[in-house]
Amino acid sequence: MREIIEDVLKLAKSLGAEFADLRVTEGTGTSISVQDGIADRVNTGHASGAGVRVLVDGAWGFAPTNNATAEEMKRCVRDAVSMAKAASADVSDPGMVCDIEPIEDHVEAEFEVDPRDIPLSQRVQTVYELERAARETDRRIVNTIASYRDSAGTSIIANTAGTYITGTAVRCGLNIHVTALDGDVRQSASKHQSNSLGYEMIQAIDPQTFAVATAQKALALLSAKRAPAGKFDVIIDPLICGLLVHEAFGHNCEADAVWSGNSILRGKEGQQVAARGVSIYDDPTLPKLNGSFSYDHEGTPAKRHVLVEDGILQGYMHSLETAARFGVRPEGSCRCQGHNYGPIVRMSNTLIAAGDCSFEDMLADTKSGLYLAGGHWGYVFTARGQFTCNVENAWAIENGKLGQHYRNVCISGLTLETLSKVTAVGDDVRFELGGTCGKNGQGVPVDSGGPHLRISDVVVGGQE
Amino acid sequence: MPDLLDIAQLAVQAAMQNGAEFADASVGSGISVGVDLENSSLKECEVVRDYGIGVRAFYRGGMGTATTTSLSEEAARTVGRQAAEMAKATHGDPDFVCLPDPQPWEEVPGRWDDAVAGLPVDVVVQWCRAGIEEAREVAPEVALEGGAGLDYGEKAIASSTGVAYSTRGTSVDINFFAVVQRGDDVGAYFEFDAARRLEDFKPEGVARIATETALRFLGSRQIAKARMPLVLGPMAVSGLIGAVIGASNAESVQRRRSFMVNRAGTRIAAPCLTVREEPFIPGGLSSTGIDGEGVPKRARALIDNGVLTTYLHNSYTSNKAGVENTAHARRSGSSAGVGIGPSNLHIMPGSRTEKELIADIEDGLYIDYGGLQPDSTTGDISATVDFGFKIENGEIAYPVSTTMVGTDVFEMLGNIDAVSSDYREEPGSITPSLRIRDIMIIGGA
Repeated sequence: MREIIEDVLKLAKSLGAEFADLRVTEGTGTSISVQDGIADRVNTGHASGAGVRVLVDGAWGFAPTNNATAEEMKRCVRDAVSMAKAASADVSDPGMVCDIEPIEDHVEAEFEVDPRDIPLSQRVQTVYELERAARETDRRIVNTIASYRDSAGTSIIANTAGTYITGTAVRCGLNIHVTALDGDVRQSASKHQSNSLGYEMIQAIDPQTFAVATAQKALALLSAKRAPAGKFDVIIDPLICGLLVHEAFGHNCEADAVWSGNSILRGKEGQQVAARGVSIYDDPTLPKLNGSFSYDHEGTPAKRHVLVEDGILQGYMHSLETAARFGVRPEGSCRCQGHNYGPIVRMSNTLIAAGDCSFEDMLADTKSGLYLAGGHWGYVFTARGQFTCNVENAWAIENGKLGQHYRNVCISGLTLETLSKVTAVGDDVRFELGGTCGKNGQGVPVDSGGPHLRISDVVVGGQE
Repeated sequence: MPDLLDIAQLAVQAAMQNGAEFADASVGSGISVGVDLENSSLKECEVVRDYGIGVRAFYRGGMGTATTTSLSEEAARTVGRQAAEMAKATHGDPDFVCLPDPQPWEEVPGRWDDAVAGLPVDVVVQWCRAGIEEAREVAPEVALEGGAGLDYGEKAIASSTGVAYSTRGTSVDINFFAVVQRGDDVGAYFEFDAARRLEDFKPEGVARIATETALRFLGSRQIAKARMPLVLGPMAVSGLIGAVIGASNAESVQRRRSFMVNRAGTRIAAPCLTVREEPFIPGGLSSTGIDGEGVPKRARALIDNGVLTTYLHNSYTSNKAGVENTAHARRSGSSAGVGIGPSNLHIMPGSRTEKELIADIEDGLYIDYGGLQPDSTTGDISATVDFGFKIENGEIAYPVSTTMVGTDVFEMLGNIDAVSSDYREEPGSITPSLRIRDIMIIGGA
C-alpha cells in the first residue's frame, strides 16, 4: 500500500499541488440495542475508503472514494486538483500549510480484550442484563433502552512532506436511557460511557452504578418541581463543567473560528478571559479517554495544549493551516469524521483544571442559589460567545444546604462574562461527557470534564 | 455502476437464503459537489461520490442490520448474510408482524432536474463569489461563512414481500452565515435557499439578507424577566412545529417516552393552528410518492384546527397498534435503519400579516430563528434566544442577549393566538409566523 500511496502523492505534486495528504481507513463495528426486555436490534457495519486533499494555488480541493485502490485514489487526486483549480481564482485568503517534519510511525491500539473476540451472543446478553437491571428498578419505569457499540479499524495518514503513519484503533461505548412515568408526569435520565478501550470497559461496568443509578435518577425527577427562572449563583457539577468548558470556551478557542472572525477570543491572547484560578487545557494525551489519540488526522503528534493559565488566554487549537496563519507550531488538533470528510480543527479532551476547594466547603459557603447536575447537550454561538447548556437536575441551595429538587432546565450566558464570575474551583476533576462533538456536519469523539465550579449571576431558563 | 435495484434484490435474496423470515435492502449512490467559504474567501471545493448497501433482516421479529460502503454483487451477498446472522442473534420481537406488500404508487414530478445533475462546478463557485460581493456591498468588514453545493443520486429499495422500486433526486443549496464585528459588538445571521430544480433556486440575495440582518443584531441588550407575548418568525416556527410533529412518532409514543402519549385525537394547540402534510408538491424538497418501506404516501392534516389527527406510523408501529399505516417510514441513502418522519409541511396561514400581529404588542419578544424545541420526553421548553428582538409599542425595538424562554410545549401551542398571512416558502413547504400570548421570558438584566 505504501508504494501506491507514494505514487498517488507524486501524482498530486505533478498536477500542481503545493501540498497533498490522504487518509485511508478500514473498519468494522457492531451495535446492539436492547429495549423493554428484548434484544431486538443487532447491527454490523463495514466501511472503508480514502480521502485525498490537495492545496493548489491557495485553494483546497477534496475528493474521497469508498474504494481505496490505486486507480480510484488517482482519480480522486485528479478530481481534487480540478476542484481546487475551479476555486483558486476566487481565493482572496490563500490556504497554506506550516513547515512540518516528516514522521514515520505505527501506533497500535492499547486494549486488553478485543470486542471481536467476544461471542456476539455474550455481548447481547451483557447489554440485556444492564437493561434488565434498570427496568426492574421500579414498576414506574416504562421504557428502557440500553445500547452498545464497538468498533475496530486501521488507518493510514500520509502527505507530500513525507509523513506516513499507520495505526489501529479499538473503541467501545455503552448508553442507557430510562423513562419513568407517574400519573401524567414523565421524566427520563440517561448515562453514557465511551472510551478508546476494548471490551474490558464493558466488563468493568457495574450494573448498579450504571443502570440502576440512571433509573433512580429518572424516578427522582418524577417528584422534582418545575425550576425557578432568573439569575442565580450556581454550583455546577463536573459534567456540567465539562459541557461548559467544551461549548462555551473550547469552540471559541478553535483557531479556524478565531481566524474567520467567528470567535470572541480573537485578538485576546495574553488577556484575562476568565477569573483568576481558572486554567483550561485540551489534552489528547490523557490515557484512554474518548477524545484521546497519538496523532491527529493530519499526522501531527498529539500534545497537551494550555489554553488558559490562571485566567489568561495562552493560545488556540490549530491545524497545519491555522498554525501557519498564526505563526505557531501545530499541536495536533485537526481531525475528521472519516475518509469522506476533510480534517478541521477539533477539541479532544477539554478540561478546567482542579482548584483547591472541596465540594462540601463550596456548598457550605453558598448562602443562596442552585446546584446544577447532569446534562447531555449544549451548543455555542461562537461569534457572539453565547452558550447554552442543558441541565438534568437542579437543587435549591439555602444557607449552605441542598433543598428543593427541580427538573431539567437550561442555563445560558456570555462566555467571557460567565467565566469571569467563577468564584470557586473544586478539587475534584472528573471526565463524564465522553461522546461525539458536532461541527460543520462532522462528528468526532471527544471528552470533557472538570471539577465543581461556583459561578455568580447565571441565567437559568426555568418555568416558574 | 451496477443496477442498484438488482443489487438490492440480491442482498434481500442472500438474507432470505441465510434464514431471515423477512428482509429489505436499501442501496444508494450519489454525487455531491460543494464549495466552502471561510472569512469571506473561497476555501475548498470538494466532490464526493458515496454509495453503499444497507440490509434489514427479521428473524422471529428481531431485526438484524448490516451495512457496507462497497457496491458490488459480492458485497450484496455478504451484507445480506450478515444481516440474517445479526437477526438470529436478537431475542426476537413478538410485536413485529410483517413488512408491507407492494402497492401501486406514482412518482412526484420535479424530484429530478437534469440541469442540476449536469451543473459545472464553476457555476457553484460563481454563486459563492456573487454572495461575497453582495455581502461586502452591505458591510465591507463582514466575515462570511457557508457555501453552496448540489447533490444528485439514486436510491433503490427491495423487500422479500415484493417491494421493488428506485427513485432519483437532485438538490441544490446555498447558505451564508454573516458576522459583522464592530469593536466588542457582534451581529450575526444565517440565511439559505434550497431547491430540487434549478428554476426554483434563487441564490441571489441570500448573502445580502444574511448580512443586512446581521447588522440589525448589533447593539443587543439584556432585558428583565417578565411574562410577555412572543412572536415566532417562520424559521423559529419551523423548528418548533418540526419538533412537535417529530414527537408524534408512533414508536416513541408506543414506547411511552414521548410527551405526545394519549394525545392523538385530542386538542394539542389553539384552534388557529393547522399543519398539513403535502407530499405531492412538484419539485418539493421532501416530496415523495412512496415511503421508505414502499407504502404510497397521502396528503393529510396532521394537526387540524389544533387537534392532533394521527401519530406517524411505519409498518412496525401500525401493525403493532392494529391501525392504518400512515406511510411515514423514512430511510436515506444506503442506511439500513428506518426512521419515522413527515414529508413537506404546510402550516396554514391566517388573515393578518406578521407586521400587523406585532403592531398589537406593547411589550413583547420576537424570535427570528432558533431552537424552541421541547424536551422530547417531558415537553418542557427551556431555550436560549440567539436571534431575538424586543418588541415595544408595536414595533421591533432592539436585539436581545442572554435571554431565555421557559415554558412547556402545550402552554406554548395552547397560547397561540394568531397565525400570520404572510409566510416563508421553500419548495414544498409553507411556514408563516405565530403569535403566542403570555410566555415566561427570562432576561439577564
